[in-house]
Amino acid sequence: MISDYVGIAPKGDLQLLQKLGEKLRNRSFLHINSTRAGGGVAEILQRMIPLLRELDIKARWEVIEGDDRFFDITKKIHNTLQGNLDHISKEMWGYHYEVNKRNAEKINLEADAILIHDPQPAPLIEFRKTGKWIWRCHIDAANPLKKVSDYLRRYWEKYDAAIFSVARFARAMPIDEFIIAPSIDPLSEKNRELTEQEIDEVSERLQIPRDRPIILQVSRFDRFKDPTGVIKAYKVVKKYNDCILVLAGSPATDDPEGEEVLKEVREYAADDPDIFILLLPAFSDRDINALQRMADVILQKSTREGFGLTVSEAMWKGKPVIGGAVGGIPLQIVHGVTGFLVHSVEGAAFRIRQFLNNPEMAARMGEKSREYVRINFLITRQIRDYLSVWYALENKGKNVLEL
Amino acid sequence: MEKSIPPFEFRQCASILKSTGEKARNLRELNEIIARVSDEAIFHHTYQYFLKGHIYQYTNDFAQWAGESLEEEALAEHLSVLDPYEFKTIEDLRSALVAAIDHYLRDFPEPREAMPGDEFHFNETITLIFPVGIRAKNLAEFLTAIKYVDAGSIYYHFYEARMRLGGGIDDFSAWIETSLEKKDLAEKIRAIDPFMHSIEEIRKHITDVVEKEARRDMEVM
Repeated sequence: MISDYVGIAPKGDLQLLQKLGEKLRNRSFLHINSTRAGGGVAEILQRMIPLLRELDIKARWEVIEGDDRFFDITKKIHNTLQGNLDHISKEMWGYHYEVNKRNAEKINLEADAILIHDPQPAPLIEFRKTGKWIWRCHIDAANPLKKVSDYLRRYWEKYDAAIFSVARFARAMPIDEFIIAPSIDPLSEKNRELTEQEIDEVSERLQIPRDRPIILQVSRFDRFKDPTGVIKAYKVVKKYNDCILVLAGSPATDDPEGEEVLKEVREYAADDPDIFILLLPAFSDRDINALQRMADVILQKSTREGFGLTVSEAMWKGKPVIGGAVGGIPLQIVHGVTGFLVHSVEGAAFRIRQFLNNPEMAARMGEKSREYVRINFLITRQIRDYLSVWYALENKGKNVLEL
Repeated sequence: MEKSIPPFEFRQCASILKSTGEKARNLRELNEIIARVSDEAIFHHTYQYFLKGHIYQYTNDFAQWAGESLEEEALAEHLSVLDPYEFKTIEDLRSALVAAIDHYLRDFPEPREAMPGDEFHFNETITLIFPVGIRAKNLAEFLTAIKYVDAGSIYYHFYEARMRLGGGIDDFSAWIETSLEKKDLAEKIRAIDPFMHSIEEIRKHITDVVEKEARRDMEVM
């Protein structure tokens, strides 16, 4: 319910949502992606579709179907757009198109606005019938493999507009390109307010002591998240401040490197009884929420990152955050204002010590962080932006729109 | 009978960011693109900087990038003193930006390259303006409202209005002068330097001067 966000989201965002709702009432808005569950896109769509319907917009969410071969190909496309080296053959591109063609025969593509999420369903544009078509890129496409992005361009350029999460992911194209940051849902299980009792229950179950400051990083066990760097920083801090370190992540079953990284991390932590490595099952949203709320300092010491929404999740809980200056992290952490950006293990250690020794500064930055997320990274702002893009495309050529 | 006063209708603006697809890796490219990019892009990187709440070190995106990403701090300082509200047109502001960078490049002809991924990306915005459903019929109501509205509403009436109305005039002081006929109070609001404050500080300054005036009115009665 939109009314549930009153008092949480900025008033103006909710008012603009209502105004845009009045303009787009009874119009149809179709979203298409490639998975119903799992991943950030599905998570946001599950929450967004009912909110759009509440605004009397006929929102619909369709999922394209494909076999293993199709998803192997799209995984390769995804990875190469993120800069990995790989080869997509002519046959693979042909199959990518074929599967989309089959889906186009099954899915009703008629709508006033059609938002296609990510590259898997991008070829559906070839079967457009009505409405404004918008391609939404959720992935880090700052340094894509040129051959792959050049090929996909044939689809992208047929859309009315594209949406990227970060300005530097955009590229010179003859269509409108909008920049819309992703968002977190303040009412979801991962972000909602928790009672002290709920937090205590989690700390007891996971056996996390609360008698000393807690340093936390929530992330997959992936080298780009630099978990060993986090342990190194903790070891430096430990010489000065008694504290514990919690590294929490889910097992990455689809990531063969995950096991290896976890092993490395465990070896590196050795037998330090104050390092807690938690392997949480998928969808442990409440546990993550509680861990973030019990932490004193939260790290996202990534060396490469898409947007890194875990940073906003931590900031929303009023915590001081230290993040690697990569991907979308600098958009969330304003250095020295809503947290600290670091470029090294030493930098991370220094900033952790600063926070542990200046709880007032930590609290002040935490407060600023929460407000920064409230204004910039809540789901209501993202829905507002999607509707604004649609409305702007219907009023093309105007830079100022009065509602 | 008291004459009816047209109420002050609070409005607000929100922007959606649009990429121009242009990016600069060094000062020469920055200058060359500033010279030809759309007015909307210049507007966004200078005037709309105030929407970000002054949490950065400099006063516009160009200065911020020169100072933080290129570490050309002298230029960043120079660009930071360019007050966009002193220029009559975007074209004048554009020329001043270009001249400042040209001047710097004459003194330091070999500027640094930005790190990959840290280039300057030129964006522009589409602005949506909407009423927020708050109306003030007198100074007391205005005082309550100004404390309550979103920062986006103060931006629209105090900063954006200057471009719309010209002559350093904002919506608040215009209404106070013409509808409430309080020229002195209007002057006090106009005396607040928009360039030197964050939106929240502007809110505080306006609240303070209006509160004083409202109290004086009350005491007279």
